[in-house]
Amino acid sequence: MMAAMLSRVSAIAAKEFAHIRRDPRTLIAVLIVPIMQLMLFSYAISFDVKAVPTVVLDQDGTSASRAYLQTYRSSDFFAIKGSINDLASVDEAFRNHLAQVAVVVPPGFGRSLAKGEKAQVFVIVDGTEPNAAQLGQAYTVALNQLYDNKVLVKWADRQGFDTTQLGRIEPRIRTWYNPERKSADFLIPGLMVVIIMIVTVQQTAVTLVRERDLGTEEQMMVSPLRLPELMFAKLLPWTLLAFVDMVVIALVGLYYFHVPLRGSVMFLSVSAGFFVFASLGLGLIISAIAPSMESANIIAIMVAFLPAFLLSGFAFPLESIPPVLQGVSYLFPARYMIVISRGVFLKGAGFNELWPQLALLGGYSLLVIALASVLYGRRAAR
Amino acid sequence: MAPSTAELAIDARRLCRRFGDVQAVDGVDLRVRPGGVFGLLGPDGAGKSTLIRMLATVLTPNSGDALIFGDSVVHAHRRITPRIGYMSQRFSMYLDLSVSENLEFFARIRGVPAALRRARSASLLESMELAEFSDRQAQFLSGGMKQKLMLASTLMHEPDLLLLDEPTTGVDPLSRLEFWRIIADLRAAEKTILVATPYMDEAERCTDIAFMDAGHIPHTGTPAEVKSLVPGTLFEVAAPDPRAALAAVCSASGVTSAHLYGDVVRVLSAPGGPDARELLTHMNAVGIHATDVQPADVDMEAAFAYLAEQAGDAA
Repeated sequence: MMAAMLSRVSAIAAKEFAHIRRDPRTLIAVLIVPIMQLMLFSYAISFDVKAVPTVVLDQDGTSASRAYLQTYRSSDFFAIKGSINDLASVDEAFRNHLAQVAVVVPPGFGRSLAKGEKAQVFVIVDGTEPNAAQLGQAYTVALNQLYDNKVLVKWADRQGFDTTQLGRIEPRIRTWYNPERKSADFLIPGLMVVIIMIVTVQQTAVTLVRERDLGTEEQMMVSPLRLPELMFAKLLPWTLLAFVDMVVIALVGLYYFHVPLRGSVMFLSVSAGFFVFASLGLGLIISAIAPSMESANIIAIMVAFLPAFLLSGFAFPLESIPPVLQGVSYLFPARYMIVISRGVFLKGAGFNELWPQLALLGGYSLLVIALASVLYGRRAAR
Repeated sequence: MAPSTAELAIDARRLCRRFGDVQAVDGVDLRVRPGGVFGLLGPDGAGKSTLIRMLATVLTPNSGDALIFGDSVVHAHRRITPRIGYMSQRFSMYLDLSVSENLEFFARIRGVPAALRRARSASLLESMELAEFSDRQAQFLSGGMKQKLMLASTLMHEPDLLLLDEPTTGVDPLSRLEFWRIIADLRAAEKTILVATPYMDEAERCTDIAFMDAGHIPHTGTPAEVKSLVPGTLFEVAAPDPRAALAAVCSASGVTSAHLYGDVVRVLSAPGGPDARELLTHMNAVGIHATDVQPADVDMEAAFAYLAEQAGDAA
């Protein structure tokens, strides 16, 4: 009984491998493209903000204002591209991409400080570069904090209206686990997960649709093969390939981007196994319900790309998205794996800390097999 | 005496299947005895594929049931599938896999042990003259070879009943002959074969036939029995203008039906209707010149033309 089942599962797994062998494009799509994506993404989505180009406008011209601006010059976060003479030049500097931040010290700055009053400084940020702007903003706050608590900075964005009163912002920026705020450390463990999710969901999304289009589905129906066996066997070869994929990406991260690996490789591997299986299962569910190859591909792109990037905690913390979307994010395996991946790589966490995520991935894997079987069975006419 | 249910290969009762608004199979009763070649004949869209798919347990009936060797297609498909081989109308093998890989795969999921797989695959490929193509990818096979590969695949687990859905459609005449030779061999090996076909001439090769039209099976029997359902005499009228001749004979009293058949007009004369001379006289009277009127044997083609017309009139 068991032997017959294993024989059927291995027959399908072997057949899937034969398809892959016959069509090397699939292998390229699975093994080469992710590495390219890793390279592209890691350079394109760099969260590192260093040496933000900055211009200064000193309308006070006192020794106090010069000393204040000196703190910007000596900081790594700002690269002073020059001084300007009036506010109109700020626009010009932003438009020419000369600067993304302008620091304006208004007249009376030195006098206010001397009297012990709160002095005002304007920092204008180019809002078209949100990441740089946000971090530039944060750094400025920190800098002011360091310089003098008495300095009150008023912010205006490029459009010219006041946004935040800085006195209220808590400028204590502390970065744990990634003290240099090197974004590769933060990026790669998450990116690994995102890329694998995109690649895997795509691969299985068409696999059942193809059987239906070919008519081979009917031949399977007249065999003793059971649907969960079919689902499991369909996932096996891709799980293996996606796992290899994940290892390769991890190696690139470790040796090329010098991401630290502080936790257990074993735990990471087991989790990665479950994660790729779960992601492939998600593709299988798409395949079970999609009416055609085209729609399967489109659904796979929708399901894989957006949630992988936006609902996984990869790009921004899940706590910061609306509660409804937070709920939706639980439907995708990436959110569990990103916690595991970052935890193991950066924090050295293991089973004791991350078992809930691993358990969720395991449960997820079983659930997708069951769900794909049920949905596929319902679609099939029998 | 009618054979009991357990002795029948197929025993379908009031089988129905609907697709949307289309009643594809509409209350079909069908009894097929073991052994022999049962031909399911009918035009495209008659419901042949739907019926076969229900018998093969890949499609659930909306109502009614069919027993295959005594087991219900609705309730016991797992007992049925090991005993049947189902060949769908469309080529349904993996195009990128070779002939032998396809055979191997489908036999493996059927649970055929490795040793038997090798032996049967070798002998089937040999007998179907496919052995030299065993490494060829299925997509590069000719139409006839594809059909033989499908048939070979349905035979790997040695089923007792073969359900073949239009296996010779779209296949060249030589391959069709070859395919029927193989079917004859299978019959000799005591398989029961249900074969759907739109070709009336293939009916003559069957031991029994059912004529299916618009979801119904109004008539079953041996080819001779079905032909004997046609009353009266068949004539073939040769004329320089067959269309005009057709219109002319239709106006004659006692003519049941008339059709163009190639470049002659086939006229079915009711019992007691006009004979050859009277037909000729009638045509001359309406000013149509006929060169020849000859009595002809009722063949399947003529029988089905008549039966389809009767079924159409009844509906």
